[in-house]
Amino acid sequence: MITTVLTVDDSRSMRDMLKHSLVEAGYRVIQAEDGMHGLEVLNSESPDVIITDINMPRLDGFGFIEAVRKEACWRAVPMLVLTTEMDTEKKLRAKNAGANGWIVKPFDPVNLVAAIRRVTATVAGTAD
Amino acid sequence: MDQNIAERRINIVQGEQRVESDPSVVLTTILGSCVAACLCDAEAGIGGMNHFLLPGEDVENRPASSALASQRYGVHLMELLVNALLKKGASRSRMQAKLFGGARMIRGLTDIGEKNATFAEKFLAAEGIPVIGGSLRGDFGRRIQFWPVNGLARQSLLDSEKQSIFQEERRIVAKPVAAAGSVELF
Repeated sequence: MITTVLTVDDSRSMRDMLKHSLVEAGYRVIQAEDGMHGLEVLNSESPDVIITDINMPRLDGFGFIEAVRKEACWRAVPMLVLTTEMDTEKKLRAKNAGANGWIVKPFDPVNLVAAIRRVTATVAGTAD
Repeated sequence: MDQNIAERRINIVQGEQRVESDPSVVLTTILGSCVAACLCDAEAGIGGMNHFLLPGEDVENRPASSALASQRYGVHLMELLVNALLKKGASRSRMQAKLFGGARMIRGLTDIGEKNATFAEKFLAAEGIPVIGGSLRGDFGRRIQFWPVNGLARQSLLDSEKQSIFQEERRIVAKPVAAAGSVELF
């Protein structure tokens, strides 16, 4: 089964680079341009992993993670933050909101795919 | 420019970026093959400049993965500038850009200036940020002054200093971003 990744980032250039790397690694990619759009996408799509930026208009990454975790059906989906931020407090805030990991841009495709595999394996293991 | 305000000049070197809302600040830089993107939200009175050279001057002859890594680095540097403006209160929809630099290097070598100029133009087009001015390509060095609060820019050409600028740029290796690509799983 092909793993579907939802990427949420307000930069089209970043979304394009993410899509290129993830499709090359065998993933199906769906995209949203901010947190609000990400929530809209979740009404019709069922991603296996979500990768979200933090600094976005309308609804930022923190708000997006919190909103996703409020929905029972999305409580277990792995969520990775991909951001330029390196601030420890922000990292802790994302963790408390329900994120599963923190990746600092510019991303390395190999490390990104490894992180996706680890968080999806962890969720699958928990389900077993 | 209010002539009564004493100007505070801040020089931006390769790999740096700076965002300011202080009307007394003038951002300056000297460019050869490097590109400086000057972004401004004039309504908010906030602007900033970066100064970058994509790593890998032999991009054409490198594996596709290396060229993509170069693009990722460039996108990252541009995103840092855009995010810094947004954090200060600028609006993405009001941002306008001026691009400078990207001059041709010593004849016979890959035209890295062209690659940097094209990258910057493509990035801003993809992000929907209009380029309203500037000066790209050519074969001369440039000295740039940029007033971030209103987006005014002034360029001086540096014919006689051209070779030393290009050689200086090539000596500076792209700075690795601290913690770039690091992954922490919770």
